[in-house]
Amino acid sequence: MSWRLPKLVPRSAPVILLVLTLAAATGFAAVGHLVARYNANQQSRGRKLYAQGVADTSAGRYDEAIAAFRAALTCEPTNSQYQLSLARALRDSNDPRRLDEAESYLVALWQRSPQDAAVNLALARVAAHRGSIEDATRYYHNAMYGVWNSDPDSNRSKARIELIQFLLKKGATANAEAELMALSTSLPPDPATHLKAARLFAEAQDYSGALAQYREVLHLDPSNSAALVGAGEAAYNAGNYAVAQHYLQEALNRNPQDANARQLLATTELIVRTNPFRSHLSDVERNRRIVSAFSQAEKRLTECAQQTGVDLNASAASASSPLVGLQSRWTATKPELDRLRSPAETDLPDTIMDVVFQIEQETASVCGQPQALDLALFLISQKREAAIQ
Amino acid sequence: MSDLVSMASYPEPSPTTSVVRLRTTQRLFSTIEGVFHEEVFFLILSVFIGIFSGLAVVCFRLAIDWMHLALLGPLPETHSWRLFAVPSLAGLVVAVLVLHVFPGIRGSGVNQTKAALYIFNGYIPFRTAVGKFICAAIAIGSGQSLGPEDPSLQIGASIASALGRQLEISREKLRLMAPVGAAAGLAAAFNAPISAVLFVIEEVIGRWSAGILGSVVLSAVSSVVIVRWFLGSEPLFRIPVTTFKRPTELIAYAVLGIVGGLASVAFAKSIGYLRPRLKGLPRWTQYFQPAFAGLLLGLIAFLGAPQIMGAGYDAMDQAMHGQYAWKVLAILAVLKIVATTFSFVSGTPGGMFAPTLFIGAMLGGAVGDIERMFFPHLTGSTGTYVLVGMGVLFAGFLRVPMTSVFMVLEVSGNYEIVVPVIVANTFSYLVSRSLQSVPIFDLLTRQDGLILPSLEEEREEAILRVEDAMLPVPAIILNSEDSVDANARRIESSNDPAFLVRMRSSGWSTITREQLQRLAHEGKGEVTLASVLPSQTVPSLYPDLSLDSALRYVNNYALIPVVNRANLLKLEGVISSESVFQKYGTRSKQD
Repeated sequence: MSWRLPKLVPRSAPVILLVLTLAAATGFAAVGHLVARYNANQQSRGRKLYAQGVADTSAGRYDEAIAAFRAALTCEPTNSQYQLSLARALRDSNDPRRLDEAESYLVALWQRSPQDAAVNLALARVAAHRGSIEDATRYYHNAMYGVWNSDPDSNRSKARIELIQFLLKKGATANAEAELMALSTSLPPDPATHLKAARLFAEAQDYSGALAQYREVLHLDPSNSAALVGAGEAAYNAGNYAVAQHYLQEALNRNPQDANARQLLATTELIVRTNPFRSHLSDVERNRRIVSAFSQAEKRLTECAQQTGVDLNASAASASSPLVGLQSRWTATKPELDRLRSPAETDLPDTIMDVVFQIEQETASVCGQPQALDLALFLISQKREAAIQ
Repeated sequence: MSDLVSMASYPEPSPTTSVVRLRTTQRLFSTIEGVFHEEVFFLILSVFIGIFSGLAVVCFRLAIDWMHLALLGPLPETHSWRLFAVPSLAGLVVAVLVLHVFPGIRGSGVNQTKAALYIFNGYIPFRTAVGKFICAAIAIGSGQSLGPEDPSLQIGASIASALGRQLEISREKLRLMAPVGAAAGLAAAFNAPISAVLFVIEEVIGRWSAGILGSVVLSAVSSVVIVRWFLGSEPLFRIPVTTFKRPTELIAYAVLGIVGGLASVAFAKSIGYLRPRLKGLPRWTQYFQPAFAGLLLGLIAFLGAPQIMGAGYDAMDQAMHGQYAWKVLAILAVLKIVATTFSFVSGTPGGMFAPTLFIGAMLGGAVGDIERMFFPHLTGSTGTYVLVGMGVLFAGFLRVPMTSVFMVLEVSGNYEIVVPVIVANTFSYLVSRSLQSVPIFDLLTRQDGLILPSLEEEREEAILRVEDAMLPVPAIILNSEDSVDANARRIESSNDPAFLVRMRSSGWSTITREQLQRLAHEGKGEVTLASVLPSQTVPSLYPDLSLDSALRYVNNYALIPVVNRANLLKLEGVISSESVFQKYGTRSKQD
């Protein structure tokens, strides 16, 4: 194959350079055209592969999705959407070895656009997979304050909720509570989001916060059964039994089949009926409840002693079981019951109920979860302050 | 002369407008011509070589991608019939093309470029570029375990050579055109200009000079610019975070270097053993050798290791991100050695750069993972070991220690791993050199019946220096300011045939016994020696100069002074033609 141009022009340097420049420009244009056509074909192929990958991801077929996204990326190596999707599929495939690769894709994307909320959220999830509270929190915050392509308020709340869930899972309750506080002020008027927030408050054992969120749900959607039960449960856990009784009753009215609500309501009603510290009780009623509780405590103590084989009549000094000491205390306190009617004995109800509560708490730890009235007394002992209110 | 006389005899006609314009243009051209003397023109030409090579490499890469998509599909699946059918059928096509249409494209592009430089006066047929383009695109696109870098290098060299011939540049420059084009092709293929420049200097040209370096750099940079313009500046790999924290971890990298060196030797020896044997088989078998190689690697891919097909950059990328367990990495390294050996020795056009990186990457990852199993405190990630492993094989197999270091740095863009890379590469290079005396490129050249200069051997060759042939400072040194008689009396007690004369200031001259005695007999005994000696002084040499440089003087002067570089008046010794030739004779006996 000979390659020699005819000598049409003199071989002087300027002419040669001119010819070379023209040849280079022509080659540039030709290759540019070729590359443009090739890229167009590749983009079309990439879109198909990407769609296939998205479908595989939706169906939970992560290995197939990863292969499809990889192939899509060979068609368009710089496509951010493909990279992000591949990174997500790698992360969600539950293969710890793939996290590194996912992270490298995401870090590259992050370096290109650090304000991209979707990328930050994906990085936050990778950090969450790794269990790194610090990194996850940083990236979740970046996502919250980043740029969202659509529905920024809702997405920000969802990102914060996800962060709270992660923190709660990792036992970082203080961090979670701080995020919950921020969340409660920025939630959009959406019952589902408030419901989720309420459950997170409950999970963080902030029952007052949970109750507030359930109330917000009921404000937006008064017929929301889940919110009714949740509100009842939150109030119950907060020791606010009267409120709990109200919501639980309402929930049962709407859904009589709800066994959980029914059981909670039964316990709540028992607490309400037996709680001697409830406000607006007459002295007679209060004394009656104290006497009844004192008597019940003795029964519980005896049953528990029988269950564990403890002799309650043994000498308190020689016995190793705390139940014996409680029996002695109960016996010593019993004569005090007669003085309950005296208006001068203002501290006596507390003294007597202290014995009752000690017995219930000790027997709960020795003999397991109490039932019925014992459960009511046990719960009152736990939420005494709230119960008084 | 007669024309001039006749012209002078007649009055000059008044020039017309067109004649004036023509003269102005001619003057302009001659002015521009004056600017473009050959050195400058060669540098500008290097830029064009880079542009054309870059454009060719862009098309070559598209061709490979298109072939791959057309033959294997976008998503090659394990256990698909295509995996073993396509490489073997493509192998048949490639064999027919190589044997009947492009017979000159077998072998390494590096060696063909070197042959063009040292044997063929810079001549590489343009047909070679066309053949390499077509056949390598089919072979690599169909999954043969070869890389696109070597063909790219050769395409660049062919374009440069063809351009040089077309422009009828001087033979000296034409010889350098091929390496300049080779650098452009390699830089475009790797998207790594520094490594390409170093490789061409280190392996092809073998010497540094401003003229060559400038041209090579310009061509490499311009080709990379072209490739990045069209294909983007995305690196070959997504580099993970690489760290090097404790100096004690260098031991782990040294171990990787030793393992890499051994693997390099195994790889090189398997190619060196099989290639001449397959070439020695009857000609008809050559139609089936690429097909057999395709069948073998297709079978490997079909059975579960499709990563070994083609250049394997995707698999390297995944290895870098810890996608494979150490057992998989080790198996892939071994399988790639087997697949590449058969693909290459079968005469299928394609290069070994990418497979070398692949094997190194897999080996590095495997060794790193094993080391971390036994020593969990090692902080280097799998990605770090994969990167270092790439350099290790590059240094051990291709025997280009400097390029291997810069290749890893340029590909990773991370300076932090430079120390592990240097340590591992050095070990790999030393192990490889001690177990395999002939580097792979030289081995292939010798198998092809060519004796090209081995640049590694040249680098390692012991250089004779002036100090090796230097005689002690003579006992008698004559003084040019003394009279001829006085100097003649001084040499009476000596038997030396020639003497060094210290001239005024720092110059030196020589005179033989006969010359001095003749001057005394001629009645010039009273005059100073300086007045009768030639005004031109004897050149001084330095002890560290190569002995070759002394050769050009020793026949002209009886003695040549060797002086200290820091003090030109201080005589370190002398050399004579006898002492120089005696030293060369000693060396040749030693050799």
